[in-house]
Amino acid sequence: MKEVLAPPGSRVIMLGNVAIARGALEYGVAFASAYPGTPSTEITEALSYASRLLGAPYVEWSSNEKVALEGAIGAALAGVPAMASMKHVGVNVAADPLFSVGYMGVPASLVIVSADDPGMWSSQNEQDNRIYGIHAYIPVVEPAGAQEAKRAVIEAFKLSEKWGHPVILRSTTRIGHTRVPVETGEINLEGIKRKGKFEKNTERYTLVPAHARKLREELVEKWERIREDLASHPLNWVEGPEDAKLLVVGAGLGYRYAKEALARLGLEDKARLLKIGTPVPLPRKLIVEEASRADKIFVVEEGDPVVESQIKEALYDEKIIVDIHGKEKGPIRRTGELTLDNVTAGLARVAGVPYEAPQPPRPRISLPPRPPVLCAGCPYRAVFYALRRAVGKARVRPIYNGDIGCYSLGVNPPFQMQDTIVEMGGSIGLANGMSHTVEGQIPIAIIGDSTFFHAGLPGLANAVYNRAPMLVVVLDNRTTAMTGHQPHPGIGVTARGEPGYSIDIVDAARGLGVEYVKVIDAFNIKEGEEEFYKALEYVKKEGKPALVVARGACILLAIANARRMGVKYTVYTVDLDKCTACGLCYKAFNCPAIYPGDDGKARIDPLLCTGCGECAQICPFDAFHPVEEPPEEWLRIMRTAKPM
Amino acid sequence: MGRVLNLVLAGVGGQGIVSLANVIANAALHRGTNVVVAETHGLSQRGGSVIVHVRLGDAEAPLIPVGEGDIMIALDPLEAARYAHYLKQGALAYVEQKVTPPPLPGVKPPSTEEVVRSLEEAGLRVRVVPAIRRAQELGNPLGANVYMLGAAMASGVFDGYLGPEDVEAAIKLVLKKPEKNIRLFRAALAEG
Repeated sequence: MKEVLAPPGSRVIMLGNVAIARGALEYGVAFASAYPGTPSTEITEALSYASRLLGAPYVEWSSNEKVALEGAIGAALAGVPAMASMKHVGVNVAADPLFSVGYMGVPASLVIVSADDPGMWSSQNEQDNRIYGIHAYIPVVEPAGAQEAKRAVIEAFKLSEKWGHPVILRSTTRIGHTRVPVETGEINLEGIKRKGKFEKNTERYTLVPAHARKLREELVEKWERIREDLASHPLNWVEGPEDAKLLVVGAGLGYRYAKEALARLGLEDKARLLKIGTPVPLPRKLIVEEASRADKIFVVEEGDPVVESQIKEALYDEKIIVDIHGKEKGPIRRTGELTLDNVTAGLARVAGVPYEAPQPPRPRISLPPRPPVLCAGCPYRAVFYALRRAVGKARVRPIYNGDIGCYSLGVNPPFQMQDTIVEMGGSIGLANGMSHTVEGQIPIAIIGDSTFFHAGLPGLANAVYNRAPMLVVVLDNRTTAMTGHQPHPGIGVTARGEPGYSIDIVDAARGLGVEYVKVIDAFNIKEGEEEFYKALEYVKKEGKPALVVARGACILLAIANARRMGVKYTVYTVDLDKCTACGLCYKAFNCPAIYPGDDGKARIDPLLCTGCGECAQICPFDAFHPVEEPPEEWLRIMRTAKPM
Repeated sequence: MGRVLNLVLAGVGGQGIVSLANVIANAALHRGTNVVVAETHGLSQRGGSVIVHVRLGDAEAPLIPVGEGDIMIALDPLEAARYAHYLKQGALAYVEQKVTPPPLPGVKPPSTEEVVRSLEEAGLRVRVVPAIRRAQELGNPLGANVYMLGAAMASGVFDGYLGPEDVEAAIKLVLKKPEKNIRLFRAALAEG
């Protein structure tokens, strides 16, 4: 992360997300909020790093994306440049304020970063958030790759400042998670430290119907003026011969693919390339001018055909008839991310030039899949194991309502204990509906600590209020683990490394009226089994929600904490005389550090073993032992570690 | 458009593939070579299959087209085979000797020999490197990634794009325990 503070005038390797953070600092962002989510997280991690060293800007991990955006709107209304960053589905959570902030406008610039995930590398869907821009009347700026990320965020802030209007910066996985050389400029130290003052403007900032109606008229009219203005925006330009009959439109990262595909096919001198950095609202003037000279248009964009459909609208209105190719009718498929292969092949087809895709090597071998798995030493493995045993003992038919976090990996064998996964907080939410409608089954909502604060609380309030019989298991591993160990409201540390209040999940649940609340040691399988059993019996008998907090630190976090404190953990080893090759540890428990030897007996890879001691608890033959007595300090850190 | 060297890095989450890519990117910058690196982060990283696309030279787009990779560095034989289609016919693949078995219950992975045979039959040139073992023997058990880069560089495939001095400068800049890693890198260069 240190590269985010590289001196001005240097050329450094940066992740696209870090470049976005750097751009925000160079512009002078004074408030930055976010909820972690791939592929957006490193933006705020970099800003948090900068803030710790520079003392500014104000940076926070908010409890969810709606809260993050509201905070940023508040800061902008107080007169300081603000930014809220989130993954694409996070914008759904923030959609409520998003749809109204355009009506109000903002006195200081406000940028909402939406990190979309075409290809769904780390997400439940593939939504294209440029459409939010159209829907909410918020202009969208889209960088042409990581190479342009820093410049694009600065331009987004400037555009917002110029129009007094929020702007969405739309990034994608292959922008945020691509590393390229970036040239640095001066960080606006005065800007990031700026304090503001809220100036009352009731007719603008209170969206009662009478005000909102007037503002809506203004918004629709302003939208067309912004569209016109964007025709000369510095992130939009044209390359190539003016008289070319083929017009290629490259929006955002699509520009890079289009440009390289043109070069690969030797078409640079035969096609015009329109580069679009502001896909919403699409500057009609630019496209109409270019399209009127072309007889074929090929649109390259990441996600849905957002630019393509706007081009069609614009040309229809102008009565320009021209062949348009892209994603609506091909040749590029709408699903997944762009690749140079499909853009090149598509361009060749549209241009009518030969292109023979290479015949790649295809090894004829059957490969086992390698899905991501719970780490060796993950407390969740012990919890899934204990919960499954308790469910068997209590003779209940469970519905495992899963949620978003590392525990989503419980969907895979051997546990297969995630029957539904929809969105953040969906575990308790779906369990609410099921609990009132199923017969003979008990919904078990499995939700992480950070997710609990993010969107679990309203669902839990609902469960208590409407007396929904369900077991809620909160997996409290003391961090937002999946995205790389960010703190959350239960941790007591802020994004700037300062002490914050630590909200106890137990207090929160009791405060919401849950009568049955228990805390267990996530690493203690026997205790877990007993407590889950009792909680399930309570749900069956009382017909009300019960909540169990399974507490135990993410093992990666524990190891990092231990290393900093100079504490060493003790790895485990197998007593081959005792091991009977039953396979429980590497099949039913499936710790990645344990594998079968040729004799079927268990072996432990000392490089992968994290000394959690879970195997010693599940082995019926007492075959696992630590190589030496684990230090007390380590056993404590495993249960209490937290992000620093 | 000028020259591009497409390098496929493959392995298992946690093996240091992303760190290796960062070393290569910084080495390229040190040399003055343009570079674009597309990484795998987040969910996919937890012990899952990882591919990183490294494009050196005059590349615009982040992803290597199928069938156009020039070199592969794979810290696991299975992952080498999984992403082999990103390579050109006749491309060089540096493949770790040790299979890291996927932690799925009851799965028996193919052996390194079987994988290598399938890669060669598919038209690749394969060099098997015991990087994990050598890194361990040389006292840096997490350094297989750096060892592998040294082994690949020894054969001259990076000539014109990167040199050992660029890699060493990058290691100093981005890795923890740079001295240890540079020692390992030099050993690999000498042994490769």
